[in-house]
Amino acid sequence: MASLMRQSCLSAFRAPLATRNAVGVSQVVAFHASAKKQILPPQPQTIQGTMNDPAPIPKPHPSHGSYHWTFERLVCVGLIPLTIAPFAAGSLNPVTDAVLCSMLVLHSHVGFQASIIDYFPARRVPKTASLLNWLLRGFTLTTAVGLYELETNDVGLTETIKRVWKA
Amino acid sequence: MASLRTTSRLLASSRSLFRPATFARSYATVESGSEPAPQIKKFQVYRWNPDAPSEKPKMQTYELDLKKTGPMMLDALIRIKNEIDPTLTFRRSCREGICGSCAMNIDGVNTLACLCRIPTDTTKESRIYPLPHTYVVKDLVPDLTQFYKQYKSIKPYLQRDTKTEDGLENRQSPEDRKKLDGLYECILCACCSTSCPSYWWNSEEYLGPAILLQSYRWLADSRDQKTAERKHAIDNSMSVYRCHTILNCTRTCPKGLNPARAISEIKKMMAAH
Amino acid sequence: MLSQKVAQQSLRRLAVQQPYAMRWTLMNAASPAAVAMGRNVQMIQTRFAATNTKTSDPTKILAEQRLRRPVAPHLTIYRPQITWLMSGLNRITGLMLSGPLYLFATAYLAAPLFGWHLESASLAAAFAALPLAAQLSFKTFFALPFTYHSFNGLRHLMWDAGRGITNKQVIQTGWAVVGVSVVSALWLAFL
Repeated sequence: MASLMRQSCLSAFRAPLATRNAVGVSQVVAFHASAKKQILPPQPQTIQGTMNDPAPIPKPHPSHGSYHWTFERLVCVGLIPLTIAPFAAGSLNPVTDAVLCSMLVLHSHVGFQASIIDYFPARRVPKTASLLNWLLRGFTLTTAVGLYELETNDVGLTETIKRVWKA
Repeated sequence: MASLRTTSRLLASSRSLFRPATFARSYATVESGSEPAPQIKKFQVYRWNPDAPSEKPKMQTYELDLKKTGPMMLDALIRIKNEIDPTLTFRRSCREGICGSCAMNIDGVNTLACLCRIPTDTTKESRIYPLPHTYVVKDLVPDLTQFYKQYKSIKPYLQRDTKTEDGLENRQSPEDRKKLDGLYECILCACCSTSCPSYWWNSEEYLGPAILLQSYRWLADSRDQKTAERKHAIDNSMSVYRCHTILNCTRTCPKGLNPARAISEIKKMMAAH
Repeated sequence: MLSQKVAQQSLRRLAVQQPYAMRWTLMNAASPAAVAMGRNVQMIQTRFAATNTKTSDPTKILAEQRLRRPVAPHLTIYRPQITWLMSGLNRITGLMLSGPLYLFATAYLAAPLFGWHLESASLAAAFAALPLAAQLSFKTFFALPFTYHSFNGLRHLMWDAGRGITNKQVIQTGWAVVGVSVVSALWLAFL
C-alpha cells in the first residue's frame, strides 16, 4: 500500500495535471520537451507529389559540392603545418604569416557558411539565408582587408598574438 | 499491499490449475509454475493520438513485472498492449531484427525494440520515444514517407546499358562482391538517419546516412554502369555534404553496419573524379 | 486443426457427390463474404451507396492529417554520446575562434575612423595592465577552443581519409582529443 501511496504522491508532485486511468497501473504526465522554444521549429508535414514519386534532388553544382569539399580539405591540411610553425619557430616571416591569415579567413568563411546552410536553409527562410550570406561575405572582405592592414602596417597576426600572450 | 499481493498470487496459482489445455497466450508473456518475487520496472512511453490532435504529446508510465515479461523491449511493449493498454500503437513484425519495423528511440538511443534487451535495473525507468524528429502518425509510429521517397530518388537498382557477353548473367568477381559486404545487409529501419542531427535539420534535402549507404552500395557495385551519372546527380551542397561526420549513425546502427564509412567513401569517390 | 480437416474433407465429398447442394451451402453459410455483405441484394446496393458519400479525395484527408502531426522529440531526449557532443563542440569552438578573429580584424580596419587603438603595442600594454586572474581566464578562454578545434580537426581529416571510423576507435580518439586539448590548453594558458 505504501508504494501505491508514494507513487500517487510522486505523480501529483511531478505534474498537477497527472491523471490515472481506470487500470490504475499507468499514469500520464504532460510531455514538456516539445513545448521548448526553438530557433526554427519544424514546419507542419507536407509531402511533395505522391508517395510513389522520388524526392527531388537539388541540381548538381560541383562548385558547391565536391570541388567545395576538396578545396576545404586542402585548406585544412595546409593549416596543419602553418599552425605548428609559429610554435616551433617562435614567429613567422611576413609571407608565411600572410598565407596563414588568408587560409584562416577561407576556413572561417566556409565554417560560417556551413552553419548558415545547416540552421537557416534557403528553402525555408530564403530572405534570412541570403541576408546572412551577404553579411558573411561583407565581413569576410573586411576581415581580409583588416588582416592585410595588420600584416602591412603592424607586426602580423602571429606576432600580435605572441606579444599579447607574453605581455 | 503485501497481503494483497500474496492473495492475488494464490488466486493466480489456483487459476492455473483450472486453465483449459488449449489456452493461448502471447509469446511476450512468460509464465512459470512457481512464481518468483516480482521485479517491477517502469516504462515511460510517448503517446499522441491523431483523433485528438489538439492534445499535446505526453509520456505515459506503465509498470511491468520483468519476471513475467520476455527479455526484449518489444516483449514489454506487446505485453503492455495485450494486458494493460490496447490503445498503445507501434509497428512490429518479425521480432528478430530483419524487418526494421520496430525502430524507435529507447533510453535515448535509436534501435530496434526486438533487438534491445530490457535493462534489468528496476530503479531506473525506461523511456521509449518514436524515432527522433520524425512526424508522428500515432504513439510510436513515425511517418517515413520522405525517407522512402529519398530512397527512390537514388535509383536503388542495377543500371546497365549493355548486355553481358554470354547474355545470361551479370558476373562479378569474389573481390568485387566482397565490396558489397556491410552494405547489402541494411534493412532501411531509419535508425541511423533519424539519429543524425544534420538529418534532423535538413531532411528535406540531405539524404541522410541510410540512403547514402544505399547510394554507395550502387556506386560500389562493379556491375553497375551508371556510376558517373550517380555521382553527378548528388554533387550538390545538400545531398551528401550536409554530412559533418558526426558519427551518430555508426554508433546507433542496430545491425552493426557503418554508414559513416560509406559516406566517407562517397566523398572520396566524388573528390577523385 | 483436426476438426478443420474433417470439415474440409466432408465439404469436398459433398462437392463431388452433390454439386448443387454444395453451391447452396456455400451461398448461405460458408462464404464469409456473403455474411459480411448481407445475403440480400438490396443490402449490397445500400452499402455501395454509403461508400460513395460526398467525402473528397482520400489523399486530401491524409494531407490534412499530416499537417496536424507533432514532431518527435530529438535533441532533448537523445542520449549524450561522445560522437555528437564532440561534433557540436567542434562547431561551437570554431565559431568561438573565428567570431573574435572577424570582429578583431574588422575593428582593426575601422579603428582609424573611430580613433580606436588596436595596434599590437597598445593591445599588449592593455593586456599587461589586467590582473593575473583575468589574464589567465582570457588565455584559457581562447586556448581551449584553439587546442580542441585543432586536435579534433585532425580527427576529422583522418575520417575524411576513410580511417578510424569504427565505434571503438571513435570513442578512443575522442577521449584522447579531450585529454590532450585540455592539457595543452592549460600549458598555453600558463605560457
